[in-house]
This record gives sequence, structure tokens and C-alpha cells, in this order.
Amino acid sequence: MLASIAHRGSALILVLFVPLYLWLLHGMTGSPDHYAATLEWLHSLTGKLLLWLVGVALVYHFSNGIRFLCIDAGWAESRTMMVLSAKVVLAVAGLTAIMLAGLLL
Amino acid sequence: MSVMIKLSVFRHDPVGSSKPFMQAFEVPLLKPGMKLLDALNYIKWELDGTLTYRRSCGEGVCGSDGLNINGVNGLACITPIEGLKQPIHVRPLPSMQVIRDLVVDMDHFFDQYRQIKPWLQAESPLPEHERLQSPEDRARLDGSYECILCGCCTTACPSWWWNGDRFLGPAALLQANRWIVDSRDDATGERLDQVEDAFRLYRCHQIMNCMEACPKELNPTAAIGHIKRQLLSRKS
Repeated sequence: MLASIAHRGSALILVLFVPLYLWLLHGMTGSPDHYAATLEWLHSLTGKLLLWLVGVALVYHFSNGIRFLCIDAGWAESRTMMVLSAKVVLAVAGLTAIMLAGLLL
Repeated sequence: MSVMIKLSVFRHDPVGSSKPFMQAFEVPLLKPGMKLLDALNYIKWELDGTLTYRRSCGEGVCGSDGLNINGVNGLACITPIEGLKQPIHVRPLPSMQVIRDLVVDMDHFFDQYRQIKPWLQAESPLPEHERLQSPEDRARLDGSYECILCGCCTTACPSWWWNGDRFLGPAALLQANRWIVDSRDDATGERLDQVEDAFRLYRCHQIMNCMEACPKELNPTAAIGHIKRQLLSRKS
């Protein structure tokens, strides 16, 4: 249940990031001044927090997506493996969150 | 003085004008290994005879007493009191229409079960004695035939909460798979045709609540996955 809710939640974060990504792209390619301003914003606390959130969401959604594909293909579809794989994916996301926080801060 | 167990039980009489409410009860711990059904029976027989719930075999075989226990679906008769956080919140199965107190309307659930035609459809001539099956083919039914249709899985499924009118739900699909894998059945194609639908089958998004809720420790998610692969393999 938790793994599934987190999968939908991370998808929502990734979708909502698209306009922000386009805004960043637009800012960085507009002019040297815009580039500097966007870069400064990316280095602010808000920018770092958003990058962290999107990074964790991306890793989680990717890992859990692979897990879903494996289950679709009939691999690891026993009750034990379904629960274990969910825990592994959550652990990977947790580890990524810590590592990314260390990298960005 | 015996140890008392605190329960908070859902009460509702749709015929009356009162709104649903949670009623607190205290029940003595009657014996080691006491089950939740024992506590409900004590309430019914000693404290409040108006409490209404379904029960029959009392040992996890009939599937009558599927309830929502502390937010998790399960059978009252095989759920030990020990280990449950108190007060124990006992509610009817989620998303179901309440007939009274803990009794819900199972008509739609069983109608969906009927839709998958849960009986053997064989076209080959009837043998003199019985339709034989190899031990290997029989083993493929393990994990499906044990379903007691308690409804714990289906009523724990968010896809069924939202699209229960069209999505067949985990219990019916587990049973559909049980007949699809049965080597004696000759209607596999028709069975697959019947479930091949954006709603009837494909509303399952692998949330896996069904697997977690099943009191018989079955795996409807895997059964649904098997049906999807069967549909894919007949296309390729």
C-alpha cells in the first residue's frame, strides 16, 4: 500500500516538475543575465529542496516501475517477494534521499 | 478481576433515523488465544443483544465474518485479540452498503463472482467415472481454490472502491484465474474474452492491498498478473 501510494505520489511530483523544468530551461537559455539568475535560484534553499524532491521522486518512481514490470512479467510475484521488493525499493529511495541531501547541502 | 478488553464497534441501523456511531464496550479476556469473534459474541450474548454481525463456522472457513479491524480487513474468528491495539476499532468492510451494524450487502460482490462463471465448462464427453487431472495440473490450482469469498480483498482494493460497478475486483478475478488454469476446463478462450476489458480486469493497478488483506494468505495480485499474461500470450 505504502509503496503504491508513493509510486503515484512520485509520479505527481515528476509531472508537476515539468513546467518548472521548462521555466528553468527557458531561464538558462535566455541570456547570460537570466542564466546567472537561474543558477543563483538553483543554489538557493528552495531550489536545492526542489531538486532534492525531484531527484528522490525520480529514483523511487524508476525503481518501483522496474519492480512493477518484473511483477507484470511474473518474476518475484510471490507474497514474500512482493513485500520484500517493496521494502527494497523504499530503502533505495531512502538511501537516495540521504545521499542527495549530502550532495546538495 | 479479569483483564478487560476495550472495543469500539460501529453501530448503524439504516432503518432508524440515528446516524452511524462508534460504541465503546469492555469485554473480559475469557481465555488465552481469545479471538475477536469471541469478544463480539460476548457483547451480543451478555451486553447488548442488538449488535448485529455475520458469523458461522468460527474457524476461518465460511468467510462470513469479514470485518475491518483496526483499519485492516480480516476475519474476526481467526484474529487473536492479543496483539491488537486497544481500543479495537471494529467496522464493517469498507465501501460496502451497511444493512445493519457490521452486516454489509454482499449482493454485488457475489454477482461479480457469478459473472466469471465459477463452474467447470467442459465440452469433452463425460467420462465414465470422473475427469482426471495430473498432480502437476492439480497443483496449479493451489493458491486459488482456497479462497472462501469473505470479501476482505475486494473491499480493501482502492480500484474497486472507485470502479466497483465495472471492475470485477480481486476475489472474482482470483476465481476467474482458478478456472483459466484448470486443465479440465474447455472455456479458457471465453473466460479470457469475458475479462478482457479496460475496467473488468485492467483497473487493477497493482496496489496489492488484496494480497495484504487476504486472511487465507492468497495472492490475487499474482492471479490477475497471470490472466494479463495469458491475454498477452494469445495475442502474440
